[in-house]
Amino acid sequence: MAGLLDKRLWVVSGKGGVGKSTVAAALALRSARAGRRTLVCEVNTQERISRFLEHPAAGPEVTLLEENLWAVDVRPQEAMREYGLMVLRFEALYKTVFENRLVRYFLRFIPSLQELVLLGKIMYHLQEKLPDGRWRFDTIVLDAPATGHAISFLSVPHVLVQTVPQGPMSREAQKMRDLLVDPSVTAAVLVALPEEMPVNEALELHAALKDKVHIRTHAAVLNQSIPERFTEADLEALVGHPELHRVAQANHDRASLTVLAGTKLERNLHAPVFTVPRLYLPTFGRDAIEQVMGHLEALVMGEK
Amino acid sequence: MSTTALGPALSKKRVLICVGSGGVGKTTVAATLALRAAVDGRGSLVCTIDPAKRLANSLGLSALGNAETQVPSSALEPLGVTARAPLHAMMLDMKQTWDDLITRVAPPDQRERILANRFYQSLSTALAGSQEYIAMEKVWELRRKGEYELVVLDTPPTAHALDFLDAPNRVLDFLDNEAAKWLLAPALKAGKFGLSLFNRSGYVLRALSKFTGTEMLQELSSFMLSLSGMNEGFRERARGVRALLEDATTGFVLVTSPHPERMDEAIHFNTLLKQHRMEVVALVVNRVHPLPTEAMWADAATLTPTRRAKVEETLRELQVLAEQDGRGIAQLQAACPGIPLIQVPRFGLDVHDITSLWQTGRYLLGDDTF
Repeated sequence: MAGLLDKRLWVVSGKGGVGKSTVAAALALRSARAGRRTLVCEVNTQERISRFLEHPAAGPEVTLLEENLWAVDVRPQEAMREYGLMVLRFEALYKTVFENRLVRYFLRFIPSLQELVLLGKIMYHLQEKLPDGRWRFDTIVLDAPATGHAISFLSVPHVLVQTVPQGPMSREAQKMRDLLVDPSVTAAVLVALPEEMPVNEALELHAALKDKVHIRTHAAVLNQSIPERFTEADLEALVGHPELHRVAQANHDRASLTVLAGTKLERNLHAPVFTVPRLYLPTFGRDAIEQVMGHLEALVMGEK
Repeated sequence: MSTTALGPALSKKRVLICVGSGGVGKTTVAATLALRAAVDGRGSLVCTIDPAKRLANSLGLSALGNAETQVPSSALEPLGVTARAPLHAMMLDMKQTWDDLITRVAPPDQRERILANRFYQSLSTALAGSQEYIAMEKVWELRRKGEYELVVLDTPPTAHALDFLDAPNRVLDFLDNEAAKWLLAPALKAGKFGLSLFNRSGYVLRALSKFTGTEMLQELSSFMLSLSGMNEGFRERARGVRALLEDATTGFVLVTSPHPERMDEAIHFNTLLKQHRMEVVALVVNRVHPLPTEAMWADAATLTPTRRAKVEETLRELQVLAEQDGRGIAQLQAACPGIPLIQVPRFGLDVHDITSLWQTGRYLLGDDTF
């Protein structure tokens, strides 16, 4: 299997609470270590990634975290301003127009404009070039919103192309759509936990990305997996120790669930599944991200 | 006898709204609360957003739909209890509920026009807060009909807490905006749609249309004109929804996972609820890892070496998780003084069947504690 490094836009999503930001941080770090200039984007959220990597929060400006690794929290107001400036060219004109009460009112109700400018900023960075003609960022890792929100967020260009009258907005949308659907540029990584709902959501997300957004699922990550530890014989031997038996049984059940979830993902996604074991660390910081990164080596670099 | 704050809430409140980030177990908590209320004699309805098929099955229903369905008494058999009042469940279909609302409040000659308008389509599905709004609007409607003594709402996974709390205000703002009135008034008088708005050869509007395209602005203004016919009905309901949120018989149950990484979201939510003068009945910390006891360590020491190693490894892992959870919970309690905090342990497997719901309920109501 080819690694993610062949693609430029890595979209990470899954159900809420499955560890999307953790996986996005690990992938971005690996890309940077591979010498690729990497930008990791969070979308209007309480920033996690820079904190995981033990750096100050990046905020809405693209900020260098460490060698080859930049981060940004894409926020609507700032993205709208950048977009507005790009279209209108002049700061003064932007202020007159966008700080007009009436205009602000209208902008709020223009369907999907907010999502469009958020996605627009990310796509802008994807196409940005250095003076010497190389890409400013080789890799962009998008820590996308959770399932439902991710689908509507990423479908915005498609929806707009279909519904909005010809004009600047639909032209922007068209450009973005072309990049999103290009399998040589964009790849999705779906994150799940070894539990029923997160696995089902990953499958739903896969189907929606394929049918509505036309983004291919590159791989799935089964996070917080529990490896087999107790055999049937162990469990039997523990029957006389009810408290310990309960603990062992729970561990055993989660291990079985891990196997089940992995099989279900593999069968339905037709994509490789990478398991990341549950980590037991007192605090969740850089160490944790480095460990997760170790388990995703083949996902990024490809199988040898 | 119940010892937690949820006891009195279940017997006195008319509406309980479960809020929190995605993946923390809101649906489970909502279903459990409705189940307990029904068993204790209050007719209740759980209104969920999440298409958790197994939850539906565990309630003896093949699937949950937009209609309220009574949970058959046979579903409670495994518990060995009978509900003293009926339990109902439904899954909210957002689009359908919006369409119902428009059908109810729009003048008959405008209905089709609105339902077909692309701005309406995005208002009902994509506008930030619109899902949250329609969920609460549904509860308001149910509450007004008064068929249930208690309605428990499981809210959509909200990316931004503010979208949820702000939704009624946003709808009111949409309808009340002075700028819109000023713009629309001449067009209304002239009896024509849209265009007059852009005949004001203002340079602001010209620049704006450079941004969105002229057609888009025309369509939007036309949509707003068709909405203006239903302003009164809509506005009255939005006010009703806002009043319902602040009503003394409405309570919020804030659900969170215990992980310190996730705590800031819960704390933020609590702050916002307070600012909006909404009552948080309880903070439910779900899936807490209990600390392994001394007795467990001692017992493990009596095992054969390989088994002992395996068990001790497992206990050490649990200890790390329990300590992490403990730090998160302490942080939460310190940031939300005076709000009752209820811990529910992490059970062996996912909570989906009726027995696990019941077990969750025993912790929520304080029959069992850590």
